[in-house]
Amino acid sequence: MDFADTAEQAALREAVRAFAGRHAGREQVRATMASPDGYDLKVWERLTGELGLTALAVPERHGGAGAGPREVAVAVEELGRVLLPSPYLSSAVTALTLTRAAEDGDGAAAAERYLPGLADGSVIGALALDADATAADGTVSGVARHVVDGAVAGLLLVRCDDRLLAVAAADATVEPLDTLDQTRRQATARFDCAPALAAGSAAAALALHRVLLAAECSAAAEHCLGVTVDYLKTRRQFGRPIGSFQALQHRAADLAVAVTAARATAQAAVWTAAADPAALAPLAPLAALHCSRTFRQAAAEMIQLHGGIGFTWEHEAHLYFKRATATQLLLGPVGALRTEIGREAGLLPGPSGRDEIGRGSA
Amino acid sequence: MSRASAPPDEDAFRAQVRGWLATNLAGEFAPLVGTGGPGREHEFVPERMAWERRLGDGGWIGLGWPESVGGRGLPWRHQQIFYEEYARAGAPGRVGHIGEHLLGPTLLMFGTAGQRARFLPGVLAGTQLWCQGYSEPGAGSDLAGLSTRARLDGAEWHIDGQKVWTSLAHVADWCFVLARTDPAAERHHGLSYLLVPMRQPGIEVRPIMQLTGTSEFNEVFFDDARAGAEDVVGAPGDGWRVAMGTLAVERGVSTFGQQLGYQREFEAMLATARATGAIDDPDLAARIVEAWIGLQVMRYTTLATLTPAGEPPAPTAPNVAKLIWGPWHQRLGELAVDVAGPAATVVGPGYQLDDAQRLFLFGRAETIYGGSSEIQRTVIAERGLGLPREPR
Repeated sequence: MDFADTAEQAALREAVRAFAGRHAGREQVRATMASPDGYDLKVWERLTGELGLTALAVPERHGGAGAGPREVAVAVEELGRVLLPSPYLSSAVTALTLTRAAEDGDGAAAAERYLPGLADGSVIGALALDADATAADGTVSGVARHVVDGAVAGLLLVRCDDRLLAVAAADATVEPLDTLDQTRRQATARFDCAPALAAGSAAAALALHRVLLAAECSAAAEHCLGVTVDYLKTRRQFGRPIGSFQALQHRAADLAVAVTAARATAQAAVWTAAADPAALAPLAPLAALHCSRTFRQAAAEMIQLHGGIGFTWEHEAHLYFKRATATQLLLGPVGALRTEIGREAGLLPGPSGRDEIGRGSA
Repeated sequence: MSRASAPPDEDAFRAQVRGWLATNLAGEFAPLVGTGGPGREHEFVPERMAWERRLGDGGWIGLGWPESVGGRGLPWRHQQIFYEEYARAGAPGRVGHIGEHLLGPTLLMFGTAGQRARFLPGVLAGTQLWCQGYSEPGAGSDLAGLSTRARLDGAEWHIDGQKVWTSLAHVADWCFVLARTDPAAERHHGLSYLLVPMRQPGIEVRPIMQLTGTSEFNEVFFDDARAGAEDVVGAPGDGWRVAMGTLAVERGVSTFGQQLGYQREFEAMLATARATGAIDDPDLAARIVEAWIGLQVMRYTTLATLTPAGEPPAPTAPNVAKLIWGPWHQRLGELAVDVAGPAATVVGPGYQLDDAQRLFLFGRAETIYGGSSEIQRTVIAERGLGLPREPR
């Protein structure tokens, strides 16, 4: 494993960071999250056009740039660091999932139809994994809840048992929701015999989604740490900077350790998603669990260490706190993730593709 | 210092290390597998001293030292490979690590040509063992508060005072001692870094009985002990800078090896959990999975720290690492006795501990020794994050 950015990835990171600096300042984030659609179409057009970020996840023959999870993760991290309200993560995971499905021979038609639009950003994709749906005769019926970015999507990947089905949003009834985390909207989607195309396995999409969420969480947690440390250096009480008080120093140090570990874990997951996706079975849930709870810790500490100002609507801390919480809640109960990790790692008995550690049949 | 030869291919080097260990960690040394190291430092000491000489003969000491002083001049990555293979083979905890990893690098940074010529060959050969005379009863975390005194009288330093928590003092040939040589100076001024022979009438070593019932640390009493006038590293009075340099070179190339040992301990705990049925308890099952998660996270963190082109990690990386492995290993020990259940409450004759009990009890030391967790946090906050110093 080599976690360091390649020269191209480092250049991409710089470009996205500069873009985020221009288009995702605090005022812009506030304005966008309060807008009717919850994202800024002009920024989206630049992000997809000038920067070509949506093309990263799509092969060249479908009009993309033929990059992969590592490059997508760079974009996700830099946009997540500033909480740019944007359907980028959803759409990129949709594109990566369709690309992989087509490679596995289980989504060629959906890939042909949707990947060019996903590449140039004219189509936004969203994942409807929390779905209660049944398929029949090339159609799907049912309901999907908590569809992140569902209200602005043109394409929904709907979970139907262990399969995914590609459904045009125009063929679904999509009902936008007001969300605790205003920087990331959700919708409920209903399907009544909506035409559907095969789009690969739900497990593959879930794994990619978790890995990219882990990357986003680790970058956002890093941001929380950085802002908090800066505040500790400048805020003065009792005649000295509050960062010179041991009680606060130690909290900041614990947070720095947690953020360092979360960054490394996310990097390992992203690296594995690109190089060895079969090994994601325990690693994707592990990274998602570990990085989301570190982010939640970082955002909570950000509020606490800022004192009263951290509790205000005006301060950005609550946006991170809400994003972290929403991310963790949407990942599902910690106990369930833990059990899944334990089974996939061969620690706990139960259904998984593997032998338990030390109980291999070999 | 130029490197005379290109480093060997990594895979070839790994095969070479593995082959040498397979051949040599056999016969008289076979019983040493899994012995020594933190928590087991009292085991097989004479045999491990012989093993140290065998390592020296094989050229496995001073891998990263320059060839000009007898080292191998190997890069960071090769040193890591050695420690990985060393741990994989279950080779014993080193009795020479203080000489190799602390004294040697200090002499390379601050020593005179004469000091290097006198002391490095013995360390490289595994024939000369060292201990570290830093902590005192009144100077633990606050090392600069030490009160051991040394006075130069013609050809000799005369040393009076007491050191504590001195690992391997009972077998060491030499001790590097931080002592106050300028009684008028305060705190970290006026200290000197002295090289003191251990076998002399002015030194008495008393083992400290730990809560494990075993001893791996000692008290060392200096009562007009002597050191040669020339055996001061750096200038007299400049000992604090030298000592801090020593701490800074402790960089953790052996981390991967340490994690292989942890993996083995984790698997032993898991086997017990299955045998006792503890794994069916939801709370214990959750802790087992969390321990596994922690081990993976530790591994990724080490990989991320060491990745960039084999460069040494950030200055506070060892402090971050210690705050990850210390508490993790302590919790593994707690889990090990918890899964063993009531059986873990019974010890062998003479207070003999099993592996789980030893892991559990020794774990309490791991958030204290080598800089307590609290000291690590302060170092990370002030040197890593750049927070303003606490007034002290």
